[in-house]
Amino acid sequence: MKNIFVIFKREYLTRVKNKTFILMTFLAPLLMVGFYAATIYIATETGDDNRSKTVYLTDYNPTLMLSNNPPANYVFLPAPSNEDSAIADVKSGVVFGWLKVEDRDVRVIDSATYYTAETPSLVEMEGLKSWIEGKANKHQFAKLGLRESQIDSAQSSCDIVTKEVSNSGDVQESSSALKSRIGFALAFMIYIFIFVYGSMVMRSAMEEKTNRIVEVIVSSVKPFDLMMGKILGVAAVGLTQFVAWIVLAVGLVFGISALFLNSGNGMSTQEAVQKGIEARTGMATVGVDGGAVAGESGSGVARDLAAEFTEPLSNLPYFEIIAVFLLFFVGGYLLYSSFFAAIGSAVNQESDVQQFMMPVTLPLVFGFVIAQTVALKAPHGAMAKLFSMIPLTSPIVMVVRAPFGVPFGELALSFGLLVLMFVLMVWLSSRIYRIGILSYGKKPTWKDLWKWLR
Amino acid sequence: MSTVIEAINVCKTFGEQRVSKNISLAVREGSIYGLLGPNGAGKTTLIRMLSTITQPDSGEIRFRGDALKDAHAHQMGYMPEERGLYKKMTVAEQLLFFAELRGLSNRDAKAAVKHWLQRLDMMDWARKKVEEISKGMAQKVQFVSCVLHNPKLLILDEPFSGFDPVNADLIKDLILELKRGGTSVIFSTHRMDNVESLCDHLAIIHKGEKVLDGSVSEIRRNHFTGMYDVGYHEEVVWDLGEAAPLSMEKNSDGKVVYRFQTSEVFTPEHLLSAAMLKGKLVHYTEHIPSIHEIFVDTVSKGGAPIAL
Repeated sequence: MKNIFVIFKREYLTRVKNKTFILMTFLAPLLMVGFYAATIYIATETGDDNRSKTVYLTDYNPTLMLSNNPPANYVFLPAPSNEDSAIADVKSGVVFGWLKVEDRDVRVIDSATYYTAETPSLVEMEGLKSWIEGKANKHQFAKLGLRESQIDSAQSSCDIVTKEVSNSGDVQESSSALKSRIGFALAFMIYIFIFVYGSMVMRSAMEEKTNRIVEVIVSSVKPFDLMMGKILGVAAVGLTQFVAWIVLAVGLVFGISALFLNSGNGMSTQEAVQKGIEARTGMATVGVDGGAVAGESGSGVARDLAAEFTEPLSNLPYFEIIAVFLLFFVGGYLLYSSFFAAIGSAVNQESDVQQFMMPVTLPLVFGFVIAQTVALKAPHGAMAKLFSMIPLTSPIVMVVRAPFGVPFGELALSFGLLVLMFVLMVWLSSRIYRIGILSYGKKPTWKDLWKWLR
Repeated sequence: MSTVIEAINVCKTFGEQRVSKNISLAVREGSIYGLLGPNGAGKTTLIRMLSTITQPDSGEIRFRGDALKDAHAHQMGYMPEERGLYKKMTVAEQLLFFAELRGLSNRDAKAAVKHWLQRLDMMDWARKKVEEISKGMAQKVQFVSCVLHNPKLLILDEPFSGFDPVNADLIKDLILELKRGGTSVIFSTHRMDNVESLCDHLAIIHKGEKVLDGSVSEIRRNHFTGMYDVGYHEEVVWDLGEAAPLSMEKNSDGKVVYRFQTSEVFTPEHLLSAAMLKGKLVHYTEHIPSIHEIFVDTVSKGGAPIAL
């Protein structure tokens, strides 16, 4: 036991004292926030095609008055009567495209044609389509004798708020979208961390083997103790990093939200929510007019998000989520890292690793795919339940389910199975490990590993 | 005298290959035991069993009278043939780690590290990372790492391979010093130059079997086959018929030495009286084979066990 501790101490201290580790612990949250912000920025800003486009318009159905109020960024010119010259102009770039609305019933989907030199984006096509449809709808409404103001006031929108009824009868607002995001983010973290810290264990075992230190060490420590000390030491490094990140993240979130809520002229949360809802209903009515819904102010969107998530965020079962996350992270990590340790002990050089990685990566990637699809769509479905029980996938699938509330019995069973599998795996791995670390020479094969196991 | 470690009929098999066949040996307390053998003879396998890294398939190993168990590792120091250090750790951290692994408390470990770094004049290097120090320095660190805890038994696998001559001498001195302090030493080698000056006792291992075992002087005595050397300052002419010299050798100091095989018919006394008549005799001695000759002779005979 003392030996495990000595090994543990070395593995932990050399890593935690490492400058890169300290730097990454503080930089990674900032990097992640920056990355997230950048993704949002790219998605909302530069993703749009902001070019101003001059487009020929042939409108055989003048009742629609399509040439009036073209969509944003479009300038319509009447098309030349000769179709060939219109196409030639599109080809030579005189105009961006030629939109031809046939003289037929405009409610038929394929009754318009858009000629362009470059393939238009999906977004552009959707925009044009809904713009024409909007015009056509208005025309149909007008034929029915409705005025524009009547049409606008007839538009309705609906928000569904989820309220969860707990066993004790409390009713709380919740958000499936929020829970999905949190669950997915946690699953992603486990997935990445098992790989990062698992390969840390593998490299550590490999370093000792290739540096030939291992023989000195196993003369005073049992290979099993060496492996366990190593796995636990690296686990502690991972947990240290997590705790540091949680502290940093909580600090950041509180800092930012304090800043954000105070900037709204001293609005209380309740007020902010109210404003957000107003802003959103306003937006919904504006949105009726075709696909040109750009230009909502950023703060409006942010307040809208805040309105949607503030209450559900405060109602999340934080303790359960964090507990499940930590337990399944540690369990999953221990299970997989013993695999990684066995691989590291068996090979003589980094390039030999690849052949043994398949059985390790496959269940992990599979678990992640399940997490992304089944578990998010039906967190309480049979598939999600099944894969959150199987020890190889449960660390990833269970944390996706965690925010949706998993019965204690299921959690206990799943964790029990995970621990059982971990013990079995450690036992198997240590058998490979004890022979692997002292076997030099030729590249090991699956057959060799099997022989070492017996 | 009591034994520090004793192997009794130890066998070890890897797959089809029997690497140790019924090996028995006993190392006396406070002695230096040399394990000789060509490459691949099974020295390292035997050493790994003695140092608790692997277990024999059959047979028994006793440490100071008790069956060998893992806990005994704290009383042993082991330096393998292939040795390395953690490149990213400092010299002091590394030594501390090894001392704690051998069961020293943190405080004792620190004191031991300080003592040895001072003893070898390496205090200035304590805070350097291993990747920053010279190879010779790293070799010293390696040696120190296995003696920090003042072991009862020090096991060294090919301790002189890879060491530069200065360090090899230093190691040799340290081994003798440890011996005076009561530490027993086992070391393996396939080179004979250090054996005669260091070992009290030696065994030759060949093809997994012990083919020879005994104290150095005993072995050499036992391999005395009746050869004598006679020397002059100049060449002489021999006319002894059957008893012609086996060889003639000119030494660098100008001495000419002839080697003769004596027997019951042609006794050493016959040789001496004949030699005195040939000229001014300056050298007359029995030729006791060197360990090297015995080793080569033993191994080339295919390793049939030789009874002493």
